[in-house]
Amino acid sequence: MKNDKRHLATLQIEGSLLRCSGSWTVSQMSRLELWLKQMLLPEGRLRIDLSEVRQMDTGGAWVLQRLLLTLERRQQAVDIRGLSAEASDLLELVRSTAITPESVPRLRHSGVIEDLGRGSLESARYSLGLLAFVGEIAGIWLGQLFHPARIRWREMVHELGEAGYKALGIVGLLSFLLGVVIAYQGGMQLRQYAASLFVADLVGLSMVRELAPLITAIIVAGRSGSAYTAQIGTMQVTEEVDALRSMGIAPMELLVLPKLLALIIALPLLTVFADIMGVLGGMVMASVQLDVGFSAYIDRLSTAVNVNSYLVGIGKAPVFAAIIALLGCYQGFQVVGSAESVGRRTTLSVVQSIMAVIVIDAAFSVAFSYFGI
Amino acid sequence: MKSSETTPARREPVIDVREMTLRFGSKVVHENLNLSIFRGETVAIVGASGSGKSTLLRVMAKLQLPSTGIVRVLGEDVTKMGRAQLQKMRRRLGVLFQNGALFGGMSAMENIAVPLHEHTGLSTRLINEIACVKLALVGLSPTDGLLYPNQLSGGMNKRVALARAIALDPELLFLDEPTSGLDPMNAAAFDELILKLKSALRPTIVIVTHDMDSLWRVADRVVLLGDTHLLADGTMEELVRSQDPAVVQFFQNSRMHAKAQPSL
Ligand SMILES: Nc1ncnc2c1ncn2[C@@H]1O[C@H](COP(=O)(O)OP(=O)(O)O)[C@@H](O)[C@H]1O
Ligand SMILES: [Mg+2]
Repeated sequence: MKNDKRHLATLQIEGSLLRCSGSWTVSQMSRLELWLKQMLLPEGRLRIDLSEVRQMDTGGAWVLQRLLLTLERRQQAVDIRGLSAEASDLLELVRSTAITPESVPRLRHSGVIEDLGRGSLESARYSLGLLAFVGEIAGIWLGQLFHPARIRWREMVHELGEAGYKALGIVGLLSFLLGVVIAYQGGMQLRQYAASLFVADLVGLSMVRELAPLITAIIVAGRSGSAYTAQIGTMQVTEEVDALRSMGIAPMELLVLPKLLALIIALPLLTVFADIMGVLGGMVMASVQLDVGFSAYIDRLSTAVNVNSYLVGIGKAPVFAAIIALLGCYQGFQVVGSAESVGRRTTLSVVQSIMAVIVIDAAFSVAFSYFGI
Repeated sequence: MKSSETTPARREPVIDVREMTLRFGSKVVHENLNLSIFRGETVAIVGASGSGKSTLLRVMAKLQLPSTGIVRVLGEDVTKMGRAQLQKMRRRLGVLFQNGALFGGMSAMENIAVPLHEHTGLSTRLINEIACVKLALVGLSPTDGLLYPNQLSGGMNKRVALARAIALDPELLFLDEPTSGLDPMNAAAFDELILKLKSALRPTIVIVTHDMDSLWRVADRVVLLGDTHLLADGTMEELVRSQDPAVVQFFQNSRMHAKAQPSL
């Protein structure tokens, strides 16, 4: 665009004459728009000369129409000259739409108080909805307990593979590394007191009671919880959920229950796996860094970690699983309309389930110490 | 008669497809296809489902590169274009996609404003006004502009998509089955709309359609695609009178209907 300057739409005021020139097209209007804002229109009868306008499109015609509307409101008479036949058609077209600058609908901006009120209502509605959702699921589940044939075993086995089997790799790797890190950090301190052997207590107890269930739940929330929301959300957008309903298939039964059951089974198993891998990581580190042999480590482990600690860890897993599956599916059903909504709900589902998992883990800790378990 | 109004004396091809071949893997969709489209024309592409109409449209709108051959759009070879050149060229094209392809996270007005924001540097206020003008041109009120795509009916969805396609007054307008999925009333109204835009903005229009009414009402010329080739090319009157078996077969089902239409 070498001749950019000459293409620019312009408007010059010469007495009572407004002389327009250049390309009155939407891509050449930006300078003119600024100028029109500052410009002082002369009083009285005006003439508008458009004979030097080389091109016009609807954008340009609208800017002209806008000017004419302003003059009309100021009750100034206008003579228009030099309008080409095409431009005249366009101006007529734009005029026929009867749009004025005031007809653009304004988005109402809400105040702080209104936002607060709406926010509170929204959270209340959300919590009640979640409660109703959990209730509905529980109802269906109870019903199925008495009619096991109605459980969708095939879907459940599929979900079990997706959420459980396919997560083995990442859960194993991360808990192994966690074991390594704990053994390294703790071992350095223990060695100063010549208590290297107690690294088995440290790794064993912290992994089995706290860290293995927690890290497994967090990984599964990120992996499967998000997938649940995205899947159900996308089906919601494409009306697939409604299609299921129309065929007499309850979306809850097909989409939610198999996921919930599968996760409640998979998460404790994954946690056991994480226990083993974490303790293994600690064992490797203990032998490399602290000269604690494998057999000594395992001996120590069996006295340090009793069955109670082990069960405390595993026992939390089904609760975490239920939270992740329910929140993930519920957020999926909250999707309305667009792809953007799927993204937002997926983020919410992951953030909320990880938060809930950590808060509930803390609550468990308090409860266990209160009852001295 | 239609073409004498809209086609200027100087026949200048806006789109020139020469010996174009397009393959997906081993599947040949088009083979050595030749097609010229002239300024101000409205050309309809017809053909059985899967005959490659949408694909041809995508090639001409520069959304899909041909395997071999030359495709000139607005005088420049599509296959030899730099990025910047391509961007500049794209704002002279408008595309109405088969399913509308409106952005779901934005209101109708915001959808129309997207190309305006991207290419003009005007204030949001002025852009919204222009968006309202475009909405009015496609027969919607400014308050409809606040609706989101999932709140629009099928017909409104297509209208908003058309308004977005004409946001920058493109010289070249591609419409992929604009009236499919609309009821006859809405489809007829949409044809009227296209005619109105055609006389006001004078774009060159390439339209894919199955709708016999649309063919009669809006198309200056009809090309029939089939079997990887261009089977026929002519006005609707010529095609309906043609003795070519392929053409006869395609129009067979609609022939009765078609005969009743020329009076329009
Ligand atoms: N991206 C792609 N990959 C492979 N095959 C494709 C692709 N796009 C289209 N096709 C094939 O090209 C053919 C033409 O498709 P299309 O142009 O969509 O047909 P229609 O005439 O119904 O619009 C079809 O057989 C389709 O399967
Ligand atoms: Mg198609």
